[in-house]
Amino acid sequence: MRKNISGILLIVLSGFILLQISCAPGSCFDETESYVKASFYNYESEKLTIPDSLSLYGLNHDSIIYDKNTKVQPALIPLDASVDNCSLVIKINGVSDTIEFQYSSYPHLISKECGYTYYHHLDSIPFFSKNGIKKIDIINRTITNLNVENIQIYY
Amino acid sequence: MWRTFKYIISLLAFLTCIMIQAKAQDTIQIPLKIRAGLEVSGPVSYYSDKNILNEEAYVSIDLDEKKSVLFDFGYLNFKYSQYNYSYLNKGTFIRAGIDFNLLKPEKSMGKYWAGIGLRYGLSRFTSETPSFDKENYWGTTSSSIPQKSYWSHFIEVSPGVRTEIFNHLSIGWSVSLRMLLYSGTGKDLKSIYLPGFGDGTKTISTGLSYFIVWNIPYKKINVIQKKEVKEETDEDEDTNTNGTNGTNGTNNTNSTSGNNQQGKVIRR
Repeated sequence: MRKNISGILLIVLSGFILLQISCAPGSCFDETESYVKASFYNYESEKLTIPDSLSLYGLNHDSIIYDKNTKVQPALIPLDASVDNCSLVIKINGVSDTIEFQYSSYPHLISKECGYTYYHHLDSIPFFSKNGIKKIDIINRTITNLNVENIQIYY
Repeated sequence: MWRTFKYIISLLAFLTCIMIQAKAQDTIQIPLKIRAGLEVSGPVSYYSDKNILNEEAYVSIDLDEKKSVLFDFGYLNFKYSQYNYSYLNKGTFIRAGIDFNLLKPEKSMGKYWAGIGLRYGLSRFTSETPSFDKENYWGTTSSSIPQKSYWSHFIEVSPGVRTEIFNHLSIGWSVSLRMLLYSGTGKDLKSIYLPGFGDGTKTISTGLSYFIVWNIPYKKINVIQKKEVKEETDEDEDTNTNGTNGTNGTNNTNSTSGNNQQGKVIRR
């Protein structure tokens, strides 16, 4: 009888310990923003070339994403999920250009802890003024929170 | 003719010997049972967290002293909200599989179970995100995902233990390791919590279940106890031989033959 009781107690206690271990709360450690990852290349040599200075902001927006930043490679460009196109002003080594992205957006669940973000799909090669930028190539049309190159900017 | 007759007689005698030997082996009676179990941790934890109600029950039928077939069914009502989104999931699930008792029949006696279960699970649910907000450089975007129904299925391995505390009443727990085969929701709108599976954002999920089980014996079977035959080690034999050598040379033959007869220790 005593042996039985200790056996039952062992089963109940071991289960309780397992329950405590299984109830550990979680936190969000993932990247929650889906940026267009843009790498910079020299147009002549076609080699990866970091701009000496980079500025970036949304057209008709006051706040600045990059302000004469150095050693930016790749540039992380946010898109507006509430509309299907957005324009940004990009200044590479002091020469200004405007880039317009056309895309579609859809929600994506990152995790329970992080919640939702928007993924985007680039519909076409971005429009750009040809002041300093010579060419833009799309490498990966799907804009996610993963660290994957999406476009190459040649200047 | 006489040779054939002798051969048949010998064969019959041999078969009779085998049958007598089998009957002479120790057998134990094991009750086979139908079990109805109720998972208790789900309703208990609902009192502390009203956002998740998981109700689960099962029926299992012993096939023999080792195996039983099991049908598990349940209901989930899951709500979750945090600063940037809210989420609802409601649905039912079934699991079917086999439980293997790893205890020997003479240890389990139909009362104790320590083993492993293998199951296949299927769940049907509706999932909805009434609101979510996303804030970035361009401002805050608010949206929602309407209610939609999905199917998902998975497999499960669940080791556990169970013991009879009163007549016909057992308690036990099991740990579950589940692998999602198909979420049904696609890779973008994964379900945060799947009925019967758990965390739907991951391929592998774990769980812990406590059961109160009502046992109904329906049949008794005789199970032959397997005897473990342990042969004496060489060392022991050497000692015995040395011992007899030291006493009397004439007794040596007898004591050795005696050892041969008693040299097998039968343990139950």
